[in-house]
Amino acid sequence: MEHSRGNHILFLVFVGLIAWLIPGAGHFILKEKKRAVVIFVTIIFTFVIGVYIGSIGVVNPATSLLSFVGQIGFSPAVVFLGSCNAALLENAEQEPENQGFAVYGIPNEIGQIYTSTAGLLNLLCIVNAVYIARMRWLQERGKNGS
Amino acid sequence: MVAETFFLLASFTAPESLGLNPLTLLLLLPLIASISIVYKALKVSRMQYSVFIKETVILFFSITIFIVVTAMVLFLLAWWLTA
Repeated sequence: MEHSRGNHILFLVFVGLIAWLIPGAGHFILKEKKRAVVIFVTIIFTFVIGVYIGSIGVVNPATSLLSFVGQIGFSPAVVFLGSCNAALLENAEQEPENQGFAVYGIPNEIGQIYTSTAGLLNLLCIVNAVYIARMRWLQERGKNGS
Repeated sequence: MVAETFFLLASFTAPESLGLNPLTLLLLLPLIASISIVYKALKVSRMQYSVFIKETVILFFSITIFIVVTAMVLFLLAWWLTA
């Protein structure tokens, strides 16, 4: 029983991580394929629109920490991209002619709103995938009477 | 093909030039569509496309109408306070 519970917790962590890594993948491994495709396409589309409007410079913890917190929910790749952009911006202070991917004004705001929303929507999907996995396990356990 | 690919990728390294005009508000619509689609994809108990599309469209228009009404109320309030 304890072994089974340990495996279940590991499975929940795995579902959460895979759903964070690729939007919709959590639902996909739970055999909710239609949901997974809809989630994947929509969240990727939202994030790509945001990055297209504001450029990859919208993902930058040094200029906008609050929206970066939302963007992290999209994928671990955002953390890498954000740290690269922050390093470029730090470098720009020493070399003013090289501004990295700096973006200001309306494109910055709209890009941040889109990418943060994509991240937060994916966070919702992660929580939902873990919840589905948990509920299924509880139902199976109820059926087995253990 | 390679040139087109790099051209496409390069377009993500520079921001689009957007002015602040009434048409900019239309950028709200794709965002509302994404929120409606993802929310309903999680919410519907069985993923039947007819039910899913119907519920998504209802949510999309509900959010849009609510935002438009809120904008009108705020506009009238601002007009009344500054008149």
